[in-house]
Amino acid sequence: MFLTRSEYDRGVNTFSPEGRLFQVEYAIEAIKLGSTTVGIRTPTGVVLGVEKRVQSPLLESSSIEKIMEIDTHLGCAMSGLTADARTMIDHARVTSQNHAFTFDERIKVESVTQAVCDLALRFGESMENEDAMMSRPFGVALLIAGIDELGPQLYHTDPSGTFVKYEAKAIGSGSEAAQAELQDKYHKSMSMKEAQILTLCVLKQVMEEKLDQHNVQLAQVTQEKGFEILSDALLKEAIEGM
Amino acid sequence: MALAQPLYADQHRPIQHQFNPYAENGGTILAIAGKDFSVIAGDTRQTEGYSIQTRYAPKVFKLTDRAVLAVNGFQADCSTFVKKVKQRIEWYRHAHSKQMPLKAIARMIQGMLYGKRFFPYYTYNILGGIEEDGTGAVYSFDPVGSYEREACRAAGAASSLIQPFLDNQIYFKNQTPAPGAAPFEPGNLPMDTVLSIVIDSFTSATERHIEVGDGLEMFVVVAPGRDVAGVQSLGAEELPALTPEGERIFVLRRDLKKD
Amino acid sequence: MNTFVSRFAPSSSALPHSKGAIAVEDDEKYSDLTWGSQAGFGHLGTKGIPSFKVPSLADPSAFLRMHTDDYADPSCRIKIQHGTTTLAFRFKGGIIVAVDSRATAGSYIASGTVKKVIEINPYLLGTMAGGAADCQYWETYLGIECRLHELRNRERISVAAASKFLSNLVYSYKGMGLSMGTMICGWDKTGPALFYVDSDGTRLKGDIFSVGSGSTYAYGVLDQGYHWDLSDEDAQELGRRSIYAAGHRDAYSGNTINLYHVKEQGWEFLGNYDVTKMHYDGPGNVPGATGGGYGYEVRTAGRSASDADAIDTSA
Repeated sequence: MFLTRSEYDRGVNTFSPEGRLFQVEYAIEAIKLGSTTVGIRTPTGVVLGVEKRVQSPLLESSSIEKIMEIDTHLGCAMSGLTADARTMIDHARVTSQNHAFTFDERIKVESVTQAVCDLALRFGESMENEDAMMSRPFGVALLIAGIDELGPQLYHTDPSGTFVKYEAKAIGSGSEAAQAELQDKYHKSMSMKEAQILTLCVLKQVMEEKLDQHNVQLAQVTQEKGFEILSDALLKEAIEGM
Repeated sequence: MALAQPLYADQHRPIQHQFNPYAENGGTILAIAGKDFSVIAGDTRQTEGYSIQTRYAPKVFKLTDRAVLAVNGFQADCSTFVKKVKQRIEWYRHAHSKQMPLKAIARMIQGMLYGKRFFPYYTYNILGGIEEDGTGAVYSFDPVGSYEREACRAAGAASSLIQPFLDNQIYFKNQTPAPGAAPFEPGNLPMDTVLSIVIDSFTSATERHIEVGDGLEMFVVVAPGRDVAGVQSLGAEELPALTPEGERIFVLRRDLKKD
Repeated sequence: MNTFVSRFAPSSSALPHSKGAIAVEDDEKYSDLTWGSQAGFGHLGTKGIPSFKVPSLADPSAFLRMHTDDYADPSCRIKIQHGTTTLAFRFKGGIIVAVDSRATAGSYIASGTVKKVIEINPYLLGTMAGGAADCQYWETYLGIECRLHELRNRERISVAAASKFLSNLVYSYKGMGLSMGTMICGWDKTGPALFYVDSDGTRLKGDIFSVGSGSTYAYGVLDQGYHWDLSDEDAQELGRRSIYAAGHRDAYSGNTINLYHVKEQGWEFLGNYDVTKMHYDGPGNVPGATGGGYGYEVRTAGRSASDADAIDTSA
């Protein structure tokens, strides 16, 4: 893919002669080193699942936070350089609250995704009067799940600032195998329970360690309960149902 | 040249008014919400002091297919404010690919008015229209943004003449039902009754207030699917709508006394 | 006093202006936030705090006072709505919050149905006294900041922190003409907590507060009936009665009473009571009601010396 790599790939703001921004493309590559994350949309809600990737038995797995709430009706899961995602998620939270304050309504899922993607290209050198910019592109992809008046939606964002809506998507190291599995097994009229089981099955396939309630995390967003990260008890139940 | 020290109003000495950017242009506006429609009206006289500046200066403006804003106070602030509201509504539509719901417009208006808390817009706003659930709604604002959803509101020069009449006719205050009759149900008045109340309010205000008169403009916003034969028979002009199956807006014009 | 404040106030309140020239900042210089895809989003300024236009004058707060302060000059043009009589007290069962619902603009009753209790979030309430817009706007803003705190720290904000946030915010506008006297009420890890915050920058923790033009009347009834061990019903009745007293005697208060009870699980709205109906009939069959109207003549009918013949000996 990078056969024509040359001197144009070091500068963050430099286009190559073929018209590619290599640093942004390399950032997208960085996601492929991240832990696998899966999102599945059903007619009644969206399920998100992440592989926690617990590196050591001494690590407290409950401190690994790869799924975060943005608002009562929005949540997201990340893969890649997860520290980069904190800025994006805080921006999403602030955008969502500002929207609620200014318009007395819940923000649309697409709008908050757009707001997050607007951050992606703010890298490079800043002029004197401007707000400081980032030195490099983000190295993280997000799966944003939410519910609004158009129903449940799942969006994938990447460091280039593009977002795409998906019915089911997997990102991270096991994404190719996982995506193939999703294409095979996904159908439009899944129930939430079926979606949870499919998510766990897909994660189990691509994970190296044996899947249990300590090295994965599930979350879902539904109309009735909004966004919630499944508790240990519910997670255990879902794993047993596999 | 140094500015002279201003004398404060609370010192009971002659008050030197240095920077007075406001004027009072008279007129009155009113809005009444029905179950599935909303009427927003305003007279068309514009005055300053004892002079009539014009007999036709509209005070009621269509914002979207389902929202109408009436503004009154200082006409320059009013018309600029309406322009800014229309612009924000357009930006919202481009950013979120949908029409702004009425309560979102109301909250946004609060933010815009409060943004000038230290140099207020001298405008009394009344926003009327159809909510997302199909009910008629009226939101009234004070000049710095405090707002409330109500069933009816009159604002402007003759507000203290009209509001008590509306309290009696719309909220049925200080009225008891005739013996044997059903109890009153505020919020369920038929449209022709509401339109008569509006016209009577303005004709009476015209009689007793010098700044009210010349003409009356009434905007009627109706929920989707509602029967509109009643309004059309009164000679209303329908404004073009974005979606033919959605909310509709009609305008009725009447003359008021010109003396 | 205000010139003293403006001389030593932080530089953000000083404005560039040329001597003798009176102008407003040019509105046409739009920031990036008002163009393109950002324009339709509700941005609160680059620092996340709303920003305000101030006229370029030597003394902008005197200008504001001249045009909007109807206590100093009742013939001022811009009549801003003011709210009055609110109270809150802490007792063993939580916090009772009771408010009236009258808003006045000068001596005109602008509305009799104002909601003076602002539901910041399901476990925090704020009351409104002073300028209605100031309270509504800033307490809604406080609500979103509390929510952001909750999202970032994964736990609810304490009442102390929420009230401190609000008081720091209004302090930055001190001397500019905001008018706000509010009570922040909630239940957090320390139990029921009640703070009074006002636009002068005062922030006080306490057990009983009443704010507004009718507060003195409300204190009369409240202080006399209050003790920590009140039952829930008696506390609710005390709140209701105190606002009734203020509504009855203070011209700027009245219309209806809104009663809330803050408990550990969050606040609960108890009801809306019409002051005139309370006078003649009382609240009817609600917990704590002692039956009958609250009005003096209603309660003491037939008992004065001048109706000696009409005294009902079975009473």
